[in-house]
This record gives sequence, structure tokens and C-alpha cells, in this order.
Amino acid sequence: MADPQLAEPAHAERAHIELRGVSKRFGSTQAVDCADIVIRRGCIHGLVGENGAGKSTVGKVIAGVHTADSGTVVVDGRPCRFRSPRQAFSAGITTIAQELALVPDRSVVDNVFLGVESTRWGFVDRGDTLRRFEALIERSGISIDGDASVRQLSVAEQQRVEILRATARRSELIIMDEPSARLSVEERDQLHRLVRSLRDQNITVLFISHFLDEILDLADDITVMRDGRVVKNTEPSSETAGSLVEAMIGRKLEGNFPPKPPAPNPDQRSALTVRGLRPAGLTGSRPVGRAAPPAEAPSSAGLDLDVLPGEIVGIAGLVGSGRTEFVRSIYGADSAITGEVRVRGRDLGRLHPRRAIRSGMGLIPESRKEQGLMMDRSLRENVSLPHLRGVTRAGLVMRRAESDLVAETTANARVRGGGLDTPVRLLSGGNQQKCLFARWMSPGLRVLIADEPTRGVDIGSKRSIYDLISAAARDGLAVLIVSSELEELVGLCHRVIVMREGRFATEFSHPQLDEAQILRYAFGEEAAARRAS
Amino acid sequence: MTDPAALLRPSGASRYLGVLARYGIVWVTLALFVLLAATTDGFLAGPNLRNVLDQQATLLIAASVATLTMIAGGFDVSISAVAVAAPLVALRVENATGSVVLALLAGCVFGLVVGAANGSIVAFARINSFITTLATSFVVFGIGYVVSERSIMRPSSDSFRSIARTRVAELTTATWISLAVVVVAWITLAGTRFGRHVYATGGNAEAARLAGVRTRQVVVVVFALSGLAAGLAGVVAASRTISATPSDDFSFVFGVIAAIVVGGTSIAGGTGAVWRTLLGAFFIAFMVNGFNLHAIDPIWQRIIQGLVILVAVSTDAWSRARRA
Repeated sequence: MADPQLAEPAHAERAHIELRGVSKRFGSTQAVDCADIVIRRGCIHGLVGENGAGKSTVGKVIAGVHTADSGTVVVDGRPCRFRSPRQAFSAGITTIAQELALVPDRSVVDNVFLGVESTRWGFVDRGDTLRRFEALIERSGISIDGDASVRQLSVAEQQRVEILRATARRSELIIMDEPSARLSVEERDQLHRLVRSLRDQNITVLFISHFLDEILDLADDITVMRDGRVVKNTEPSSETAGSLVEAMIGRKLEGNFPPKPPAPNPDQRSALTVRGLRPAGLTGSRPVGRAAPPAEAPSSAGLDLDVLPGEIVGIAGLVGSGRTEFVRSIYGADSAITGEVRVRGRDLGRLHPRRAIRSGMGLIPESRKEQGLMMDRSLRENVSLPHLRGVTRAGLVMRRAESDLVAETTANARVRGGGLDTPVRLLSGGNQQKCLFARWMSPGLRVLIADEPTRGVDIGSKRSIYDLISAAARDGLAVLIVSSELEELVGLCHRVIVMREGRFATEFSHPQLDEAQILRYAFGEEAAARRAS
Repeated sequence: MTDPAALLRPSGASRYLGVLARYGIVWVTLALFVLLAATTDGFLAGPNLRNVLDQQATLLIAASVATLTMIAGGFDVSISAVAVAAPLVALRVENATGSVVLALLAGCVFGLVVGAANGSIVAFARINSFITTLATSFVVFGIGYVVSERSIMRPSSDSFRSIARTRVAELTTATWISLAVVVVAWITLAGTRFGRHVYATGGNAEAARLAGVRTRQVVVVVFALSGLAAGLAGVVAASRTISATPSDDFSFVFGVIAAIVVGGTSIAGGTGAVWRTLLGAFFIAFMVNGFNLHAIDPIWQRIIQGLVILVAVSTDAWSRARRA
């Protein structure tokens, strides 16, 4: 296998894909404006920008999903005009989209060779297909069970299946749109190794990402986009995360986080009290389960938590550590085996979303599309849904009162990009997320729980979401945040609890908050030691 | 409206195209009406239009309420079975008691109970609503045969026909009942908190649940209402023909679904409106009426009707894909 360090100069002059003055317009939005990008063969090309900067559109123009309004896409020196993903595909271009495109009930092998199966007399040649699969596995170094049904795989594994599929079709360019957004830290590392091995096989990768550290670490070249325009074609050695951010948003950020709200007075009554909570989802996922409980299992006693009014508590942990199950069962979104939840001293009794809401809790769930918003419904309906009782008279919803309520909360949450009756589907990811904040930012709110509050959100919106959270705490709300972005927890929280295997591993308070320490406990000491050696 | 968030508005042509697509059913129904009025003798005549209204009554009663079920993400095919069996139950009561009011009540309660059972199975056993209501349909058809002892049933007194065939201000009571049901369904869906919960449940059941909507209760209620309306529609139909026959004829629900879908309510749930179903029903009714006035072979009528439904559904799919 060629050493990338040596191989690189040989390809340096060879442009694989070249965009010359490419523009693309959707309705009144100029998604891409006269973009010039050179993607070198056999390189990892990072593409960064805020949501709505035009990154995905660039990827889609190259992949033939969209056709450019003007300008040309040059592939290997020849101008090409792909009218469908199929045409781009036959030119060796494959996309791995954010939403993976696999057949869930078929096996890994079936998915990898879907449409390019080995056949004999029109029948699928199982033996030859399996031999090709083995060869593919060996070449790529991806370990995966070929017989496993895709439905049972994790997101990371499904991604590997997509990568295998792309290599099975001898793709020369793989476009990855936000591949790491839904991965845990260790899965991200594995993905990065895989992307580098693709480069070693002289496959070009266009890597679209929000994570600047990742791009700086991985990419050979970087293109920064803003408002549809290419603002910078650069390389990682001459950039820092700060310089990229500056290019992306066109202004210098003075610190990514608002100043922390003052530490809450520890003598007051807690806004949220959790005692002995055992989320049902956690024990169920244990392989041994109830039959053989671990020798000393603090989780069998359940989890305890107190959050003071005005306090921001973060929950860190790897995907699968139980952090989402924990906060969801506080809210009653998932059931708990045992446990007690009190809001301002009052016991909620049986845990259920309606009771949680009535007591002054609000949950912003992990996935806004699947669990948060009715995408086809209006901003108005999405925001007012839990508060309709207050604007209903004789069973009828009073539209004027509802409009006032929604206009006020959406303005407070800085939702932009649409009127009250715009379907939320038409808003950007950041504004959709702010809709969820608007939904809960009403005077009756005491406890706000936000699971991954800034997932898939551009940097500008991130900052306004941080401002919202911080302002909420200043107003005396108790805030509980789950996040994979440690930087976010450290920047925002008074206190961070680290979860591991369904238990609280440790807890850090404000001046002692440190990303490396949190990570160490999230992985567990022994795993951290192994990583270090 | 004071709207601090309103910044981005689609401009020019795309906005008109959007309005055109969104209210497509309005323009086509109007165009068809004008076309028929201009070209077809007798279409605009009072008796003809009153007749169309009267004939659409049973379908409108069932379809306007079934629109709620569809928007909540459910699919009720038991409407046919209930519309067949409910009048048999009603006539059994009428024959026994001689009371028209009790008969009407019995037919409606029967529909309500079947619908509530459907809804409970869908909501709590989490069985697909199409399959659930298909299965209960057979049960209900069977009940119809049992109740009627497999023979045609007639009311014992003439007053049973007064349910549908009394004339008030030139229109039949069947028409008035259907208009009342349409208005109630419309207001329920568009104006009430329950209506919002219906949209939310169909739009994203999990999001609705996390926002405090009792989604299972919503599902039970929309199916119960749909059953109630189907029962009422069946009794009104029986009153018009002064008889009820046991059968296992599924055709009524197809007309109902056609009206809902042609109107533009999505079978995926979450979007739609009662006024759409009203227009969808009249679009199909005008079409059929026009065919009849032109004496077009009923066989061809079916073929054309089928194609029109396909066009309606593909327009919906196309406009949805364009927005995505």
C-alpha cells in the first residue's frame, strides 16, 4: 500500500474534480454562488461552513442530485454535466448522505452488492459474491459480519456498509455529508482511520463536516464556504479552528460561550429532585440482565440528582452510557422501573410527559425531526402545542391569543426565516432547534431538559442557543443538558456529571471542568490508560 | 399580523405556483362546475343540483369525519361494514319498539362502539389500522347477517323514511344532516384543541406525545367518531331507500377514501382539511353527474374516475417531493 506521505506529491498537480464558477439557486435562495473548488485526486478534501452555507449543495451538484444553473463541473479534465445521481455514479462518484440509504432487512453482503451482484444465468451467484465480499473486507480493513441484518447495526456500522458498497463499485470519489455527526467519540476515530485508508487506496474523499478539529486533523485541503460563496481554499497547516470559524462566519467570535450565569445559592430548595431512578431502557440493554446482577452495582440503587433553580447541569458520557435514557425517564418519555421525581418539592408520582409538563418541565429531545417537531405543520402549531389549554375558550383555540403567545416566544428564542404559519420544514436546522426552545420558554417553565441541544446546528445558531440556555438559568430555571460536545458542557455548565454504563462515574464543578478529565471518566480509567499506551 | 419572525417570503412565480398547487382542488372543482354549467343542459337546474346534494349526503357524512381519522394517521376501511350493519341494527330496534328515534340512536351507538373497538386495538395493541379495520369489517358484516337473519329488512312504520326524506327549505333532511356533520367536523378539526391534537398525532406521534398530547386517546376518539358517522350514514341511506340489506360490499369506503384523497388530504397523515373532502366529494359527484347527463357508459365512467384519483394522488406526491 502506498505511503500517503510519498504518494501525495505525485497527485498534487492532478485535479480530480474541479468546480468552475458553479452556481445553484433554489427559489429565492442563492444556495451556491459562483464556486471555484479544486479537489485533488487521492486526497481528503474538507468542506466546512455553517448550515445553509452551501456545502451540501456543492456535494449534490458534484453527485448529480442537482444540476448547476451555471458554471461547469470538470471531472478528470473533462467538463461533465450530470443530470442524475446515476450518471455521476457511473463516473465513479458516490455519496454517503447523512440519512443512510440501505435496505434495513437485508444482510450486509446483500446491501454491499445491491445492483452489482455476481450473477450466473440471471441468478445471483452466492459463492462468488461472498468471495468478492471477503476480498473487499481484506482490502479495506473494515471488520463487519457479512450475514448480519443491516437493521441490527449501529449507525457507525451502517456507515461502514455504505463505504464498502462505494468501494465495491470502484468509486473514485466518495462524498461524505456530515458522516461524524451521529457518531460517538471512538466511532469517529474509527471513521477517520477508514477515511485515511480510502486515501491510501487513491480514492478521493470530499468530507463535509461541522467539526473543525476533525477537518484540521483529517483533511489535505480545506474549502470554507459562507452564504453560498467559497471564502477560502486553504490547507490545514496554515489554519486553526479559530481562523476557520472566523472565515465561516466572517467575524471574530469573542469566546464561543456567553459568560456563565452566577452560581446558584446552594441553600435554596432544588427545582428538580431525582431519587433512585432506574430507567427501564438501561437494564434491558444489559446482556445478563436481572438474572446475574453485577457484584456491586450502584445502578440497582438508582440514580440521584438535584438541580437548583438557576443551575446548569451537564451530563456527559459516551453514546450508550445511559445519559439519554436517564433524562428521558425523568420526563416520563421512557418508563422507569423505580424512582421518584420531584419538581420544587412536589412529587410527580407516576412519570409521564403530561405530568412532567404540568409540573413545569420541558424536554428538547435528541432528534428534532423524529421526536421534536411536526415537520409539515406550522411554526405556530409546533410552538403552541403544549400551551393550547391557556389559549382555548369553550373548546376553540383563540387564534389571536395564540398568535401573541407564539410571536412572543419565537421572538425571544430568536427564531428567524419564517412567519407564524410557515411549515417548520422550511426553516434551517438552527431555527428548527430554536422552535423547540420557543415551545418551552413560557412563564410556567421550571426545569428545561435539552438532549444534544445543538446537534446539526450551524455556529451562529449555536451561539444563540447557548445564549438562550444561559438566559434561562439567569431567569431561575433549572437546566439539564446532555451533550456529546464536551466543549459545550465545559463552556456552559456549573456542574457536569459523567455517566458510564448506566451509572454516574463522577462529577465536576465549575472551576474544575476539564474536557480531558471528563473524557477519561467517560471511557473509564482502564480504557483511558489503554488509549494512552 | 404582528410578526417579528417574518422575513423570508417566497417571491413571484414560485409563490403563485405554490398557491395554485395548494388550492388545486378548489380551482379544478370550480372549473368543472363552470364547464358543466356552460356545456351541459340541465346541470344548473335546481332539481339536478338538489339531487346531487341529496345523493352525496351519506358519503359526505362518513367522509368528513373519516378525514379526521386519516389526518391522525389512521385508515378506517370498516366504514363500509358499519354502514351496512348499523341500519340493520337500527331496523331491528325499530321493528321491536316502533320508535324511529331509538332506531337512529341504536344505529349510531353501534357505529360508535365498533369505531371505539377499532381505535382501541390500533392504539393499544399497535396493530396497523388498515389491517385492524379490515379484520373487524368481516366481523361487522357477519353481525349484519346475524341481526337481519340474512334477509332484507324494512321499517314497520312509514315514519322511518322521514329521517332522510323530509323536505326543509327545498332540501332533504339527508342533505341537512350531511351539512351539519360537515360543519361540525370542520370546526372540530380546524378550530378546537382536539383538532390540533389530531394534526399533531398524525404529523409526528412521538413529538406530539412528548409535547403532552394523549396520542392514544386521540386515535381511539377519531376511530370512534368515524364509526359513529358511518353508522349515521348507513341509517340515512336506509331511510332513503326504506330498507336495509345485509351484504359484504366494501364499495362505500372506496368512495369515501376517493373523496378524501382527491380533496388533497394526505394518506400519510398530518395534513389535510374537511373542506378539502367536501370539494373532493363534489368534484367526483359533478363528474359523475356530467357523465350521466351526457349518457356516458358507466363502464367508462369507472375507468375515468379511477384515472382522476390517480392524477389527484400523484399531484399530491409530486408537490410533496418538490417541497422536500
